[in-house]
Amino acid sequence: MTERQAPFILFQIADTTYAVHSEAVQQMEMVEHITPVPNAPPFVEGVVLSRGQVIPAINLRTRFGLEKKPYDLRTRLIVVRSGERTVGLIVDSAREFLAIPPEAIQPPPDTASGMSERYLEGIAILDKRLILILNVDAVLSIAPSEELHLAEAIAEVKDALLAEENPPA
Amino acid sequence: MSIFTRSRKSRNALEQEIARVRSETDQINRTTDEITRITAQITAGLETQINAVEETVSQANEMTASLKETAGQAESIAGSTEELVSSINELAASIEQLTANATDLAAAVNENAAAIQETSASIQSVTATAEEIAASAEQTATSMNEIAASIKSVSDDTDALNVSVDETAASVEELTQSVQSVAEHADDLSTAADQTSSAINEMGASIEEVTAMAESLASAVEQVSSSIEEMARSVAGVAQSAETISEAAEGSATSAAQLDRSIHSVADLARQADEVTKGIARDAQESSATTRQSIEGLLRLRDSMTRSATMIREMGKRAEEIGSIVDTINLIAERTNLLSLNASIEAARAGEAGRGFAVVAEEIRNLADRAAQATADIAAIIRALQEAIQEAVASANDSLRIADEGSRMAEDGVAGLDKIMSGIEKTSELVSHIARATDEQLSAGQNVVSAVNTTARQAKQVTVATAEQTRAAQEIVQSVAQMRKISQQVTQAMNEQSRAARDIIKAAQNTTGLAAQVRQATNEQTKAMSQIAQAVEAMRRSTASTARALEQQSTAVDQISQETERLARLIANVSKAMGEQANAATQITAATENMRRQTDQLARAIQEQSRAAKEMTTAAQNISKQIALITRANREHSTAAAEILTAMSDIRRANDRTALSIEETQRATVNLRERAQAIAAALDRL
Repeated sequence: MTERQAPFILFQIADTTYAVHSEAVQQMEMVEHITPVPNAPPFVEGVVLSRGQVIPAINLRTRFGLEKKPYDLRTRLIVVRSGERTVGLIVDSAREFLAIPPEAIQPPPDTASGMSERYLEGIAILDKRLILILNVDAVLSIAPSEELHLAEAIAEVKDALLAEENPPA
Repeated sequence: MSIFTRSRKSRNALEQEIARVRSETDQINRTTDEITRITAQITAGLETQINAVEETVSQANEMTASLKETAGQAESIAGSTEELVSSINELAASIEQLTANATDLAAAVNENAAAIQETSASIQSVTATAEEIAASAEQTATSMNEIAASIKSVSDDTDALNVSVDETAASVEELTQSVQSVAEHADDLSTAADQTSSAINEMGASIEEVTAMAESLASAVEQVSSSIEEMARSVAGVAQSAETISEAAEGSATSAAQLDRSIHSVADLARQADEVTKGIARDAQESSATTRQSIEGLLRLRDSMTRSATMIREMGKRAEEIGSIVDTINLIAERTNLLSLNASIEAARAGEAGRGFAVVAEEIRNLADRAAQATADIAAIIRALQEAIQEAVASANDSLRIADEGSRMAEDGVAGLDKIMSGIEKTSELVSHIARATDEQLSAGQNVVSAVNTTARQAKQVTVATAEQTRAAQEIVQSVAQMRKISQQVTQAMNEQSRAARDIIKAAQNTTGLAAQVRQATNEQTKAMSQIAQAVEAMRRSTASTARALEQQSTAVDQISQETERLARLIANVSKAMGEQANAATQITAATENMRRQTDQLARAIQEQSRAAKEMTTAAQNISKQIALITRANREHSTAAAEILTAMSDIRRANDRTALSIEETQRATVNLRERAQAIAAALDRL
């Protein structure tokens, strides 16, 4: 059982809790100095130096089509590996290391756009917390045209889960 | 026969003429007596007048004294007092003149007395002579009786007739001689009558003069009385205005008393105001002190508020420091969380080997979370604290501002109180000034009251003095009226005297004419007597004279005897009259002596008067030096008094002249009387 409990790193963006596999996470850092990169896409904040290697820092808010917010003490840079790429994800906060049992994980609900199926591995509900388990590779390969709709899709997911969990009496 | 008849006729005519002369002489005597009486009346009137004048002068002097008394209170009498002094000087000069006149009068009286004594002596000798004459007349009468007896015996005897004729012739011769002597006496009588006439004329002229003087005296008295009446009216007016002044002074006294009461009440009010103001000043000082204490309290409050605000700010700073520390703790907690997450990742990656490490990391992460939670709580508390401090700082600033405003307002209040204090001090000073001024006013008011009372008293004294003056003026008016009456009586008496003098002159003229007639008759008688002598010679030659002639002669002798008896009676009468005259002369002498004594006394009195007048002059001069001003009314009074005194002096001089004239009249009267006596004596001798 214990083996089956895959550990996740939980993080928040715009009050929504997401989770990534801890094995995909190389390390976590506080956002310190970001060097801007010319002609980079809008969601790329720039590059940072992390453990001797230069990695791009992606603002997931921008990536999810949400508004930027200033960095603060809780802002985190989650350094993930996707294939050969190492990317830093800037999130609002990331403070938990949690093992989620597989039975708590469900497939993402169907939505009209079908977008959540591509970016979410599944959803977990633990202690009435909705946790969206993110497919890091999919997130990193989001086409620019889809960016604008991702936030809507996430909202649809959340709405659908909430409707499912709290059916109207 | 015819010659004898003629002689008888002539004798009868002579006797008739003698009787007429005698009656005229008697009339002259009566008239002279009347003149003497009138002169005595005039003298008495003059004395009365002199007394009245003296009384008037004394009253005028009294009034002058009263005027001087008035002058002491009135300020404008000085000039008139000078005039008064000068008029007193005039009076003194007049009195001195009067003294000289009186001295002259005394000398004249002395001379007069001597003359009267001489006269008296001569009258006495005349009386003696007259007595001797009477005795001889008695003897003559006896002898004539004897003659008559003898003639009667001769009538029986012719021899005796011759003798008787001889004796008759002799007696006729004697008679002729006597007639001649009568003629001489008649001449003397004529001369005496002429002299009497001239003396009477002189007396008449003197009486006329006296009458004129009496009239001028009367007019002067009229003037004096009118000016005295005017003065009396003026004095009455002065008395009235003095009463008005007195009433006004009384009114002033009442007003001054009211003023004094009012000043008293003002002074009380001023003292009350002073006390009230001082009380206000004390209150204001207390209030000022209280306000200063309030200001000091406010300043202390402000200081303590400032300190509180500083402390609150300090606390805020400390809170901020705590906040930054909390941030640091928070950062540490976050980093701890991050480290524990990385440790968990590494532990997971290490698999089973990392399991214990994962637990430790888990616990570290929990601790870090709890630390973060605590710091979040602390941050919240500190935020609340900082908000509270912010509010406290704001309220402290507000309090400071309010305290500043309060102290500023209190300082304004203190400044206002200072102003009030200075104002109150000024007010208190002013009120004290007022109180002092009212005190001074009080004494001044009392001075005014006393001065006004003094004025009222003096006005009353002036009124009393003027009333006395008015009374004196009225008395003077009465005296002057009396004087006027006397003067009129004198004028009337002088007129009567003048009339009598004219009568005397007429009588004297008659006497003169009669004397001439007597002389003529005596001449005729002398002629007749020579014819008688011739006839007696013829009678002697013709012894055959008739018994009838003798009888007639005897009858004639009887007649002569009768005449002689009558003559003797007349002589006795004359003797008696002479005795009376001698008595009268003695009385006159005594009266003259008395008059001389009185004159001496008068002279002495006048000298004393003169001295008194000089002393009065000196006193008046002293008074005139002392008094500065005299009222115009008093000046007029003094002028009137001076005029009165001048008029009085004129009257006195006129009186003196009148007295002189009266003396002359008296002398003339005495002269006349002597002449009349001489005539009577001549007649007697005839």
